Amino acid sequence: MQATNPIPAALAVDRPMRSRALRKLLRDKLAFAALAVIVIYAIVGLLALFHLAATHYQDSVGPAYTAPGAKYLLGTDVLGRSVLERVVHGTRIALVVGFVSTGIAIPIGILFGLLAGFFRKRVDDFIVWFYTTVDSIPYILLVLALALILGKGLVSVCIAIGITSWVGACRVVRGEVIKQKELDYVQAARAMGAGNARILILHILPNVMHLVLIQASLIFVEAVKSEVILSYLGVGVQGEPSWGVMIDDARIELIGRGAWWQFASATGAMFLLLLAFNVFNDALRDALDPKS
Amino acid sequence: MPYRLPHRFRPLAVLLATAFLACTPSRKNLGSTYRGVLISNIKNFDPALVQDQYSSMCQFQVYETLLEYKYLARPYDVQPCLASAAPAISDSGKVFVIRIKKGVEFADDACFPGGKGREVKAADFVYSIKRMCDVRTQTTGWWIFDGKVVGLDAFRKATESLPPLPEQYHPALYDGEVEGLRALDDTTVRLELTKPYPYFKYILAMPYAAVVPHEAVEYYREDFMNHPVGTGPFLLKEWRRGLRLVFERNPKYHHGFYPTEGMPEDSAEGLLADAGKPLPFLDRVELDIFEELQPMWLNFLRGNLDNSIIPKDNYAEAVTPDKSVRGDLAAKGIKLFRQKDLDLVYMCFNFEDPVLGKHKRLRQAMSLAFDADQAVELFYNGRGVRAHSPIPPGLFGYDPAYKNPHARYDPEAAKALLVQEGFPGGKGLPEFEYLTVAASNYRQMGEHFAQCMARIGVKIKVSTCTWPEYLSRLKQKKVQIIAGAWGADYPDPENFLQLLYGPNESPGENNANYKNAEYDSLYREMAIMQDGPERKAKIRRMQDILAEDCPMIPEIHRLRELLIYDWVGDHRGHAVLDAPIKYYRIDAALRRSRLEGRGK
Repeated sequence: MQATNPIPAALAVDRPMRSRALRKLLRDKLAFAALAVIVIYAIVGLLALFHLAATHYQDSVGPAYTAPGAKYLLGTDVLGRSVLERVVHGTRIALVVGFVSTGIAIPIGILFGLLAGFFRKRVDDFIVWFYTTVDSIPYILLVLALALILGKGLVSVCIAIGITSWVGACRVVRGEVIKQKELDYVQAARAMGAGNARILILHILPNVMHLVLIQASLIFVEAVKSEVILSYLGVGVQGEPSWGVMIDDARIELIGRGAWWQFASATGAMFLLLLAFNVFNDALRDALDPKS
Repeated sequence: MPYRLPHRFRPLAVLLATAFLACTPSRKNLGSTYRGVLISNIKNFDPALVQDQYSSMCQFQVYETLLEYKYLARPYDVQPCLASAAPAISDSGKVFVIRIKKGVEFADDACFPGGKGREVKAADFVYSIKRMCDVRTQTTGWWIFDGKVVGLDAFRKATESLPPLPEQYHPALYDGEVEGLRALDDTTVRLELTKPYPYFKYILAMPYAAVVPHEAVEYYREDFMNHPVGTGPFLLKEWRRGLRLVFERNPKYHHGFYPTEGMPEDSAEGLLADAGKPLPFLDRVELDIFEELQPMWLNFLRGNLDNSIIPKDNYAEAVTPDKSVRGDLAAKGIKLFRQKDLDLVYMCFNFEDPVLGKHKRLRQAMSLAFDADQAVELFYNGRGVRAHSPIPPGLFGYDPAYKNPHARYDPEAAKALLVQEGFPGGKGLPEFEYLTVAASNYRQMGEHFAQCMARIGVKIKVSTCTWPEYLSRLKQKKVQIIAGAWGADYPDPENFLQLLYGPNESPGENNANYKNAEYDSLYREMAIMQDGPERKAKIRRMQDILAEDCPMIPEIHRLRELLIYDWVGDHRGHAVLDAPIKYYRIDAALRRSRLEGRGK
C-alpha cells in the first residue's frame, strides 16, 4: 500500500470525511435542535457578557419571594431580585467558565497526548505517571484546594477547572497517536524527510482532531457542572449570581417557604444546557466516527 | 466563647441525607432524658481551650466554677457554685477571699488512685488557673486575666521558659507562690487584683475559670481534652464526633439546688415550684449535632428533639404574624419562647484601609445607607431591634431613648455626605470588599448590604470564606468591611465597648483597628468603675464618639426565639448561660402520651 499510494493519508481522507460528517450531523434533527439550543444560550450569554441583558440582576424589582407571574416571569428571590435576570446572568457565568476552562484544558491535553503518544519511552512514562497522579486526586477536592490557593472568583474557577480536566483528552489523544504514528501516511511523511514537529502538527494532529472535538464538548459539560458545584459550596464565583449560588439560596427557601421558582429556574437552565450538549455530543461522535 | 457566628447557627454544606439518617435519635425508653441540639460541631472538653458557644455548652454540664450565674433572678448576677458563700471583697475592691464548699468530690475516674474521685480543695482552683495561664496550654482565654491579677502576668512569662508540653505537665513553677492567686488553706482562696475591676466576679463564672483536677491533666495528657473529669451535674458517657454527645447524671453531685429566688413572673409561671430541690432532675442528656437546619427542624416536628430554633424560612410555617405558635404545632404541645439576648450584630470598617479609614463622612454615609430594619425583616423575621451603639438592651448603659444620628436609613442624607466628602454618587471610590463566612444566610446578608450601598453609588463585592480563614484574615487586618457578631461573655457594657478599644486592635477583638485617644482613656476609666451616674455619663460620651466616627455600623440586637415542647419544665432563657440544662425537668408521662397519641 505504501508503494501504490504515496499521497499522505491526511490529505487524501481528511476533507471528504469532514464534509460528510457535517452533512450527517445536519440531517440528524435532534442534534440540530440541540445545536439550536446551544446557540440560543450562547446568544443570551453574549448579551449578558456585553451588558446588553440582565443588567439589573442586583436590584430589587419587587417584593421578596413573589411567585412567577406576568410581571415577574420567573418570580423574585429573598431580596426581591428578578430570578429571570439572575438566571440569564448565570448563563453568562456558565458559558464563560465552560469556554475558558475548555480552552485551558484542551491545549494541555493535546500537547501532553501528542508528546506521550509520539515519543513513547521516558516521555510517555513521565506523562502517564503525571496524569495518573492528577487523576487519582479526588477531583472536587483538588479544585477546592486550587480555588483556595488562587483566591476566589471567576478567574480562579476557570483556571482550577481548566488545569484539572485535561486528563481525559490527554489519554484519548495519546492512544490515538500511538495508533496513527504507525500508519502509512506517517511513514510516508517520514520517508519524505519531514521532521517530528511537522509530522506531529501537520499530519497527526488533524487526524486526531475529531476526538479532540468530542473531548472538548465533554469537558465543557463537566466544567459547567463543576462551576455550579463550587459556587454552591461557596468557593466559586463571588458577588454575582451563578446557578450554583442560586441553588444554594433555593435550598433553604424551598422546604420552608415552598419557593420553588429559583430552584426550578437554575436547575432547569443548567439541565437544558447540559442535555443539549450531551445530545449534540452523541451526534457529533456518530458523525465523526469513520467506521459508521 | 467571645466570637459568635453572625447568625447563631452555621449551616454548612454537608450532605443532608447522611446527617439526617445518622442523627435520627431513637425514641425508646426515654424516661427523664432531655434531647437538645447543637448546631455546630464541638471541639473539645478542655476548659482552657473552649472558645465557642457550643463547646462551652457541653463543658458546662461537666465542669464547675467557683461562682455561677443565677438562673432566674434578674438583672444578671452571680451566686456561689463551688464556693460556699459570695466572695468577701475588700473595701478597695481588689482583694477577693472565697471559701470553697466542703465535701464536693470530683467524679470517679481512672486518673485518681483507686478510681475514686477526691475532695475539691482551694489548691485545685489555683492549679486550674495556673495551668490555664501556662503559655504551653495555648489557652484562648488568657485575656480574661491579662493584667488583672497581681503576679499572674509574671507567672505566665516564666512559663515561656519551660520545656514544651509532653514534658513537665506539673512543673515546680506551679507550686511556687503567685502573689495575687493563693490558697490560704484547703478551703480558702485569696485573689488580689491590680485594679478594682467591677466585673471580675463574672470572670470567675466563665468556663475558662473552671476547676479541673491535676490528676486528670497528668494522667490523660494531650488526651485530657477528650476526658472531662469535673464536679458538675453530669458525666460524659458517649461522644460520637460530629454526631452526638450523651451525658448521664453524676451520682456524686449533691451540692446543687434549684433556685429559691426569682422574678414575679417566674412564680406566676410555676418556675419556682421546684425551689430548693436538689439538682439535676434529669437522668440523661442527649445533644445531637445538626449542622444542617432542615433535618433538625424535621426531627423536632417529629418529636425527636425537645427544642429547636426556628429556621428563617420555616418561620411562617411555625409562627403567626401576632407571634404565637400556629395551631397545628400548638396542638402538639409546642410553645414559643422569646428572650432578649445580650448580643450585637454589626459591620465594621478597617481603619487601616487607606480609603475607609480616612474618610469619616464616607463611613457615615454608608451607615445611613444601610437599611437595618429591612435586614431584620428579611433575615431575622423581625426578631431583633435596631442597634444604636454596641451596648445591647439589658446591660447597664443601654438607653432605649438614645439615638445614633447615623444609625437610621436615609439614603438622601448619605448621598449628600458623599458629595461633601468629594465622592458624588460614589465617583472616585474603589470597589470595597465585604467579607463574611461562607454560608447562604451570611452571603445573602452581604448581598443585601451591597444592594443598599449600590443605591448611593458605592460598589461592594461580597466575598465569603471559611470560619478559620475569616478569623485569620481579621487577625492579619487583611479586610475592608466585615460582618461580625458579638455575644456577651459577662453582663457588663465593658465587654461590648472593648470591641473598639485601641490597644485591642487585631489580632485582638477591635477588628476595626479603630483608635481614638479620648475613647480609649474613657474606656480605661469606665472599666474599673462601679455602676452609677458617673459611669453612665462616660459610657454616653463613648457612644457619642462612636456615632460620630462610625468605625462600625451597629445593626441589630437579636431576640432569641425558640420552640420547645411543653413536657420540658423549669425552662427559662438566660443570655449568658447557653445551656442551663441542669435546671430542666422532663415530664416523661406527658411526653409519652403526646408522642404515642401522635402515632395513631
